[in-house]
Amino acid sequence: MSEISTNAYVLVSAILFTIGVIGVMTRRNAIIMFMSVELMLNSANLALIAFSRAKASTDGQIITFFVIAVAAAEVAVGLALLVSIFRAKRTTNVDDVSTLKG
Amino acid sequence: METVIFITTAIVAVGAALGMVLSSNAVHSALFLILNFCAVAVMYLLLRAPFMAAVQVTVYAGAIMVLFLFVIMLLGAEKADLGSEPIGWQKPVGVLLGAVLLAEGIYVAYKGIKLVDAPITAALGIGQPTTLSAVLFSKYLLPFEVISILLLVAIVGTVVLTRRTVKLKEAE
Amino acid sequence: MQDFIWLVPLLPLLGVIINTIRGTLAVRQRHTAAHVGDHGHADHGHHDHHNAARIPGWIASAMVIGAFVLTLATFFSLLGQPARTAAGENGRFFDVTYWSWMAVGNFSVPFGFLIDQLSIVMMLLVTGVGSLIHIYAIGYMSHDQRPTRFFVYLNLFIVAMLMLVMGNNFLMLFLGWEGVGLCSFLLIGFWFEQRDPPWASTKAFVVNRIGDFGLLMAMFAIWTLTRDVQGNPLHSLMFREVLAEQHVQTLQFTQTAFLGSQYTAAGAIALMLLLGVTGKSAQIPLFVWLPDAMAGPTPVSALIHAATMVTAGVYLIIRTHAIFQLSPSVMNFAAGLGAATAFVAATIAIGQYDIKKVLAFSTVSQLGYMVAAVAMGGYVAGLFHLLTHGIFKALLFLGSGAVIHGFGDEQDMRKMGGLKSKMPRTFWTYLIGTLALAGIFPLAGFWSKDEIIGYAYDNDHRLLAVVLIISSMLTAFYMARQVTMVFLGEQRDTSIHAHESAPIMIWPLILLAIGAVVAGLINLPGLHSLETWLAPVLNEPVAEPAEFHLGLAGLTLVLALASGWLGYYYYSRNARRIKANERDPLYRWGGDFYTILEDKWGFDSAYDLAIVKPYKAIAGFANRIFDARIIDGIVNGAGWVVNQASRGLRVLQSGYVRSYALMFLIGVIAVLGYFVLR
Repeated sequence: MSEISTNAYVLVSAILFTIGVIGVMTRRNAIIMFMSVELMLNSANLALIAFSRAKASTDGQIITFFVIAVAAAEVAVGLALLVSIFRAKRTTNVDDVSTLKG
Repeated sequence: METVIFITTAIVAVGAALGMVLSSNAVHSALFLILNFCAVAVMYLLLRAPFMAAVQVTVYAGAIMVLFLFVIMLLGAEKADLGSEPIGWQKPVGVLLGAVLLAEGIYVAYKGIKLVDAPITAALGIGQPTTLSAVLFSKYLLPFEVISILLLVAIVGTVVLTRRTVKLKEAE
Repeated sequence: MQDFIWLVPLLPLLGVIINTIRGTLAVRQRHTAAHVGDHGHADHGHHDHHNAARIPGWIASAMVIGAFVLTLATFFSLLGQPARTAAGENGRFFDVTYWSWMAVGNFSVPFGFLIDQLSIVMMLLVTGVGSLIHIYAIGYMSHDQRPTRFFVYLNLFIVAMLMLVMGNNFLMLFLGWEGVGLCSFLLIGFWFEQRDPPWASTKAFVVNRIGDFGLLMAMFAIWTLTRDVQGNPLHSLMFREVLAEQHVQTLQFTQTAFLGSQYTAAGAIALMLLLGVTGKSAQIPLFVWLPDAMAGPTPVSALIHAATMVTAGVYLIIRTHAIFQLSPSVMNFAAGLGAATAFVAATIAIGQYDIKKVLAFSTVSQLGYMVAAVAMGGYVAGLFHLLTHGIFKALLFLGSGAVIHGFGDEQDMRKMGGLKSKMPRTFWTYLIGTLALAGIFPLAGFWSKDEIIGYAYDNDHRLLAVVLIISSMLTAFYMARQVTMVFLGEQRDTSIHAHESAPIMIWPLILLAIGAVVAGLINLPGLHSLETWLAPVLNEPVAEPAEFHLGLAGLTLVLALASGWLGYYYYSRNARRIKANERDPLYRWGGDFYTILEDKWGFDSAYDLAIVKPYKAIAGFANRIFDARIIDGIVNGAGWVVNQASRGLRVLQSGYVRSYALMFLIGVIAVLGYFVLR
């Protein structure tokens, strides 16, 4: 049974991360930007678990566990913010929330 | 066999991610993201991390994405980008920089990392729930408790943020 | 007594502190009173103010008198000791060090006093004449707005002057030297709301700085160049170490190059010390500040600009005579400078109409005598003249102050005349001072001036002797002119009501007049008490009293009497021709030459043309062009650049979250790129 190398996982992780980045850069819908951020977190998790396997250590998986927990908290607060903004501005377009500028 | 599974899941994951970013409907995006999460969960299984795969599916693909869908439906924000792009160069520059980042990532993935993979046999046991929980409740006990407080704060914060202050004032 | 010597400068310092605190409290009280607005007792308050105005004066005077008494006690205790120890060394001195003033690396200077025959004599003059002038000033300043401030400054001056003469090292001397300069500045400009005093005080301060530069340089040179007998650097500023014979001799063998010429270290140091002397003791070319210093209150002129501070230069030469003696050329130069100053200033005094300006140039002239004397090696003669001059010139200044005070604050002699009957006591004391200054037998000036001339004659300085005799004739002439113009004849400006001054101002005059009569006793030919007293300090193995030349003294006396009579005769005869705002009768004779005298030989105009105007031009350039364009340009330019850069960077703060994310990404790529390219 041939084992997939860690490098291959890291490559996938990098691709997913880049897609997440491009999503944040290009999309204007706050919810989709938010989902892109989740994608980036997810790709980081993938890399962490790949390293965990490579080093035969549980630490990577534990950290992934924490990342998921923090992500849950972040999503809860972030979505609450979105709801608040939507109530005030009737929009989920981040470009409409640009009052604070020089 | 493993290689085939890996390549398939990798293609599904990348495709789902692209679909998430490119689709104009937020609901479709969310569904694509769930697909992506599931594909990544399969990869976790390949990486001998069954517990994390289960957490990935239940927490991420399950709870978090349900929350997303719920908000999208609630706000009625499934229709994507309304109006014209105010900063025209943002999109091409973002894609360009993303490409640069990807190049750097690939370089790091293949040239930068000089990991010597541990033997598979050593990695077999680490993903088991028993192993993980033993470490989590001994070595990582304090971070674990901190996380629980963080989640509590998040709950309180969410409640505060979404409460209608106008109604409160009227109540007074 | 030496255990209590620190009390001597401390008492006036205490006066400074007490008066400062009282003054501060009074000001606060007045503010409160003004706040309450109690106008009901305005008259009562006015009366109170006049009595209260005298309190700071009495406090200050009491402190100086206390210092005088202590100095006197110290003097007698020194007198009680044998003049020389068994080993033949000076027995009448003590050198006390209280604490280390500053110690940095190998530089260390103690705070201590050296009380020997020289400094005790100076201390007696400073505190003695100072006491009388303080008492006089109580009366003189009774109508002034700020008597407290005046007496604080005056007491502070006494402290600084005592530091100058009591210090046991060059830095202590310098402390006093700068302290008296500061007090002089403050007191010349005391009436700062008037037009002239601020300028005069600034001028005095700036001109004195030139001299101070010389003294500083001399101190640096002494610190670095003095060697001990083994040839190692001595690194000391203590008088008793540096000026000890075996150490000071080493200065003779060190050569220094300056402006392309070679000097011995002793010569260079002496020259720099001489620069300090010309500044403080108002010698050519730096005397120009002293006449202007008359803008200050008259007691200040008497104390600082006649009796004490201006003699600091003479004291400095006597104190460091060991260095001067190693360089005969500098000594001769200084002697010539002194004699020239004596002559030039005496001629200028003839051309002045301001009662105090005449005395000021007279002071410059007499300082020239002293410097010439000490530079010829006649230290005792110089110090003798310093003491007698301190007494009778203080008397003359205080007398002129009484005249000014009783003549409606008018200083122009052309408006005066006939004041003899209006203020008889002032007249008689002034006459005694005049005769003493003119060198008339048997008053103090006769003995001291004659000793200088005799010393010059004895030591092959015949030319200087002639110059000094001529100056002495001129002195008699201008003083006769002054007394005639002020006191004799008829009062020319009858609109001013002249009156005699209060007893508190007359009594110091009388005491000083007695001093002016008898001060010659301290070094009468044949007795030579001062000579004997000072001999151990001057390191002269056997005191060699200057011989008294009856013929020379007689000649000088006759010439002085003759020119004095001439002055009296001429100005009594021509009394009708003296009118306010018109030129002196002598102008008919002297013509343009007299104009030169009125113009003070053109020193002020020359300095104005050569230094002040170019300096102002440079300052103007620096102010208008350099400062306004270049400095301000740099400052404003810096602001402009920041402003413009901010305007440019403001675009980045667009408010679009995605733009911020983009910048964030650029940062991420850069950091990652670093790892890639590493």
